[in-house]
Amino acid sequence: MPEPSSYILLGAVLFAIGMVGFLARRNLIVMFLSTEIMFQGVVLNVVAFGRMHGQLSGNVYGLFMLVIAAVEAGLALGLVVLLYRRKNTLDAESWSAMSG
Amino acid sequence: MSSMVPYILYVLFASGGAAIYLAMPKPSGSQRQAALILGVSVIAGLMGLMSMHFVAPNSNNLFFYLFAGVAVLAAGRVVTHPEPTYSAVYFALVILSVAVLLVIQRAEFLAVALIIIYAGAILVTYAFVIMLAQQSGAVATNTQAREPMMAILVSFVIAGAIAGKIEQLDAVPVRLQGQAVTQATDVADTVATLDENDSRSGHTRAIGSLMFGPYLIVVELSGILLLIAMVGAIAISRKQVPIEDTGEPRLPVGQIGREAPPF
Repeated sequence: MPEPSSYILLGAVLFAIGMVGFLARRNLIVMFLSTEIMFQGVVLNVVAFGRMHGQLSGNVYGLFMLVIAAVEAGLALGLVVLLYRRKNTLDAESWSAMSG
Repeated sequence: MSSMVPYILYVLFASGGAAIYLAMPKPSGSQRQAALILGVSVIAGLMGLMSMHFVAPNSNNLFFYLFAGVAVLAAGRVVTHPEPTYSAVYFALVILSVAVLLVIQRAEFLAVALIIIYAGAILVTYAFVIMLAQQSGAVATNTQAREPMMAILVSFVIAGAIAGKIEQLDAVPVRLQGQAVTQATDVADTVATLDENDSRSGHTRAIGSLMFGPYLIVVELSGILLLIAMVGAIAISRKQVPIEDTGEPRLPVGQIGREAPPF
């Protein structure tokens, strides 16, 4: 079984890729898919940390993170549908009026 | 030699960032071939580094390398594919690979829950929204990235900061062989410790007794959170239907449905 540090490295890579997607893409749906990739990296990290300390709490934290991911997906996709209805585009740039 | 590891990781991350930059959708077209070659070589370098420093040589670790590589490649494709539908499909691949990696870590219950919730529920929701909000043809939303260089710089600097601490992490005494947890933690229970040598299938019973024991309040709060999110999602995405004026006088409240006209 690989050491926990290799999972932490892998989780960091997945987190970075998801963050690139969230910051660089303009499509709202792809942006929220990227946050889900960041969640995957963190789940891997949490489970690896739990295994490092010989506990199952990491698995339980992972389950709670699934709850958070489900909540986030539900709310975020509701928002995406609402924003698409308002401007008929998925472009995040079209909502940049508040950036000043 | 060992102190060189963070610097090798920095170089690998910089190359990986360059690969993602090449693969990012651009109006002039992305260099997918070069990005693929660079990305695969970066992943191979990462695996080689892991095999030398982090992972004990073992034939069972083949699956770790295989699915870690698949996860990273598919994640890179999710964030660079110009079509959101394909991004969702590649995201399913990420989910399945991460589930396999969790099984390798003896977290079977979490792996199955991940597949059911993500691939079964969340991804279907994404598919519905992609269908609801479909834009035809190649639009600038999908084919033009927004400041990809800055995004890649920020993200991989964070990943590099984590990777720079990996060496110190290995210095932490690791209790892998099911040794008793001596340091008192508030949830440390004999049932909650992980026994790597336990050949029985999974730790589902122990996870259950942990969730409905020390974490019971968190479980209840999760239920409340899901309820709030459901109410919020319905309130956000409810469509305001204009009330049609049929010309007939509206009955006062309390009279509606009292006198149904005969057929």
